[in-house]
Amino acid sequence: MATIAVPLGAQGEQVEAEALRRPALSEYLRWSVDHKIIGVQYGVSAFLFFIIGGAMAMLIRLELWTPELDLIVSGAAYNSLFTIHGTIMIFLFIIPMWAAFGVPLQLGAKDMAFPWLNAFAFWLIPPAAVVVLLGYFVSPAEAGWTSYPPLSTLFSGDGQTLWALGAHLLGISSIMGSINFIVTIFNMRPPEMTIWRMPLLCWAVLATSIIAVMATPFLAGALTLLLLDRVAGTTFFDAASGGDVLLWQNIFWFYSHPAVYIMVLPGMGVLSEVLSVHSRKPVFGYRMVGLSSMGIAFVGFTVWAHHMFTSLQPELRIPFMITTMIIAVPTGIKMFSWIGTIWGGKIRLNSAMLFALGFLSLFVIGGISGVMLAALPFDIHVHDTYFVVSHFHFVLFGGSVFAVYAALYHWFPKVTGRMLNERLGQIHFVFTYFGFLFTFFPMHVVGMLGMPRRVAVYVEGFQAWNQLISFSAFVLGFSTFIVIYNVIKSYYHGPIAGANPWRALTLEWQTTSPPPPMNFDDDPIPFEDPYGYGTEASAAYLAVVDEAFSNGSTRASEH
Amino acid sequence: MQNRPSNTPSISPAAVVVAAVFLIVSVIGINWFTTFVPVVLPEQASAESKSVDELFYILMIIGGVVFFLIQGMLLISVIAFRARPGDEGDGPTYHGNPLLEIVWTIIPALVVVFLAVVSFNIWTQNTEPKAAINMVEGHSISINVTGARYAWTHQYVTERFDPDGNQIVINSGPELHTYIGQNVDLTLQTQDVIHSYWVPAMRVKQDLLPGDPTRGGRPTQLRFTPIRVEDRSYPARYPIVCAELCGDGHGRMQGAVIVYENESQFLDQFYEPAIHAILNPPADPILRGEMEIQNYICNSCHILDSLGWTSTTGPSLNGVADRAGERVPGQTAEEYIATSIWNSGAFRVPGYDQQMAAFGPDVMEATNVMSPEQLYSIVAYLCTQGEQSDCDMNNANVAIPDAIQTVFGYEVDITFGMDADADAETPDTETEASDDSE
Repeated sequence: MATIAVPLGAQGEQVEAEALRRPALSEYLRWSVDHKIIGVQYGVSAFLFFIIGGAMAMLIRLELWTPELDLIVSGAAYNSLFTIHGTIMIFLFIIPMWAAFGVPLQLGAKDMAFPWLNAFAFWLIPPAAVVVLLGYFVSPAEAGWTSYPPLSTLFSGDGQTLWALGAHLLGISSIMGSINFIVTIFNMRPPEMTIWRMPLLCWAVLATSIIAVMATPFLAGALTLLLLDRVAGTTFFDAASGGDVLLWQNIFWFYSHPAVYIMVLPGMGVLSEVLSVHSRKPVFGYRMVGLSSMGIAFVGFTVWAHHMFTSLQPELRIPFMITTMIIAVPTGIKMFSWIGTIWGGKIRLNSAMLFALGFLSLFVIGGISGVMLAALPFDIHVHDTYFVVSHFHFVLFGGSVFAVYAALYHWFPKVTGRMLNERLGQIHFVFTYFGFLFTFFPMHVVGMLGMPRRVAVYVEGFQAWNQLISFSAFVLGFSTFIVIYNVIKSYYHGPIAGANPWRALTLEWQTTSPPPPMNFDDDPIPFEDPYGYGTEASAAYLAVVDEAFSNGSTRASEH
Repeated sequence: MQNRPSNTPSISPAAVVVAAVFLIVSVIGINWFTTFVPVVLPEQASAESKSVDELFYILMIIGGVVFFLIQGMLLISVIAFRARPGDEGDGPTYHGNPLLEIVWTIIPALVVVFLAVVSFNIWTQNTEPKAAINMVEGHSISINVTGARYAWTHQYVTERFDPDGNQIVINSGPELHTYIGQNVDLTLQTQDVIHSYWVPAMRVKQDLLPGDPTRGGRPTQLRFTPIRVEDRSYPARYPIVCAELCGDGHGRMQGAVIVYENESQFLDQFYEPAIHAILNPPADPILRGEMEIQNYICNSCHILDSLGWTSTTGPSLNGVADRAGERVPGQTAEEYIATSIWNSGAFRVPGYDQQMAAFGPDVMEATNVMSPEQLYSIVAYLCTQGEQSDCDMNNANVAIPDAIQTVFGYEVDITFGMDADADAETPDTETEASDDSE
């Protein structure tokens, strides 16, 4: 195993450690308009929030070890705990996670189209996080991350107001980031980088950004109405005064369902990269994979009311069942294309690849339970139960977080110039994969048997299941320490990566690791096919680039 | 570079063997999967549960095929196509196969169309309104469910009338009583936030939505028909669960569906005794009050250990009589309790921000109408809730009517209308509970 995991670009080891032109760590704590700095700022801060949200999840699982409310002081405290867990994981971790480092490099651009806006979008996150967390410690929101009125308007503490303000700021950040990506992808590509030569991560980020720009204003609208109801005495959601509680659900889910694709599409883009590079084979059906992202983005706007199957007027439920089922088709195209990609390749089973395969293996379960949830009569039974909790963790953890880890192992050498420890990565994978599986798979069963979500007390008969779930969750939580240790250790002592340790064809690898301030000396010339592995031409292309870097040059385009 | 001249990936014989084994494993596996259907779902206690579980069975088969197909191909790939140590070459340059892509677009599309049609049929079959709903003694009655933080209340608006000509309403608290074959059709209404009424054994769930009370709220409907479950003794009990986050005590908001074997068991064990108790209330105001208070939805907000109430939305009623005399200077305990029921806006216990619902002789909601006599008995009952009651318990039949007269100006008939005409008619109910407290 270890022999395969050794970086292929052996020339990197000749580079002295001092030759790594890495930014000083203090650079990352300052305002910077370099997308590579901002990308790391996004990634590290998002990961910090992942740790905080994860610690909260551990507390939740500790409370659920017994059927009674014992560890946490009150039901209200428990409610605010999962409210903030969900809010942090969605708004502060997984949505911002995907920004900024890779896209300009992959396009061959010197930076984002609007570097200053890029920095500003990031620097909105810390104040927003402070506002949300302050609310948690002052007078916590207790209405869940979905904040349904009237619970969130008439019955929740002032932390709910701060929650809405924080979410507002994060929405603004997300819109600015997305506009930047769209403009960058359309305008910053060098002449040879045609739209059909674009790596699939860029396609996915483009689809994601279009969704974010279109959907996030709806969240802003809903949050504004909520804030007005809470502080200005309006009655948009107050039924007793002519308001409508379903208004919130409709607007909120019109954003929050597409937001699921904001969270998972970039992960799918990562997957296309990682699977292709590490099985040394082109992405199967490149155009269909790119276009299916757009298909998901489009259909994703037509399914929101399936979150309201138990509250929506009965006659409106059928159309949303049908649109929800349709979305399985483009998702299926992606699944089969990825398998087509690795099928017949020469698979390097390193950490990045393991996490990518883990994504495939877990995401398919989330997809199957997704179709089950779309089937209206069955959904009625499991709606708002642990079955749903299980489903969205399979999609967002088994999907997105596994993609985050795959991306970490794949691009860490590019970001830092050093390789992560392969053995630790494999151990990390084993703990994460099995910890995850045994945490979330049994949740399907308790949900179907009758355990609703968001409860601190439950029927005694479910205790054995919950203890299995909690134990596995602690294993899953422990696995995080392995990757933190690996990252810190490898940042200082990992083997030197060289420009292109994976011998990948996309442009981010055709420059030094880490890349110089403007990424490339000239406009780089992309290879005719971003995933054209196995041809004489691609071998020649890589050889020329290797040659260029082993001579100490940073020019990637001299051929 | 070790480029293959051919444009297709070559599949080793080993992979073919693995694929064949995988095919056999998945057929057995899917079969094995479906045996879990009854294990992972609760009992099938309604007609609807049968068809929902059939749908789940179909979903399990299709899901099983997808699961084994994907996981199997992943496993095969990792085993068969893993690069050998030292092999640094590339795989075949194979960009795709349009025919294959069309196939794997069309097949899933057909599968989801099939699932949509099946789901649609089951849905329309399960939700279509039935002709004879909530049949009791040949009448179709209405059953209303009220959700309030954190309790369920069920009310049966019967087709029987009391001697004054009022329709009798049975309040069965957190329990829904029904019988095998009754087409249950519930009207759900919430008092505060959104709740969700879920009976796992029946596979039904419906949210309760806040609406404008002056326009009759925003009632929603829930329909199911209980069926016989093998090896069950009747009456059978199934949990009711709140499935929508409603606050602090969300997890405690539970109830039960009691299913009787047939209509006559339902009538004998629930319906007739309940009506009998309402028609023949004890003459003792305390016992009468204990019964009356349970006909209102007080349990949805208050704790009262003697009656098993658990809700924490409003202040606790445990020991209320010990505190009532000191709450408002110049007001007796009787006056305070009476005022806080009929004129609930008058006080707000610190720490509770919700306004209590209005009760009284002229309130709009039929279920909250309360006569002076009912108030008298309820105050009498609450006066017993404490260790050394502030109320004048030796003189309850004078002190409480006086308090009601003072505060609201109503005359209370402390005999509950029995002095004029009831003496001869209801001798049996008075024997057990009449004279000892007065």
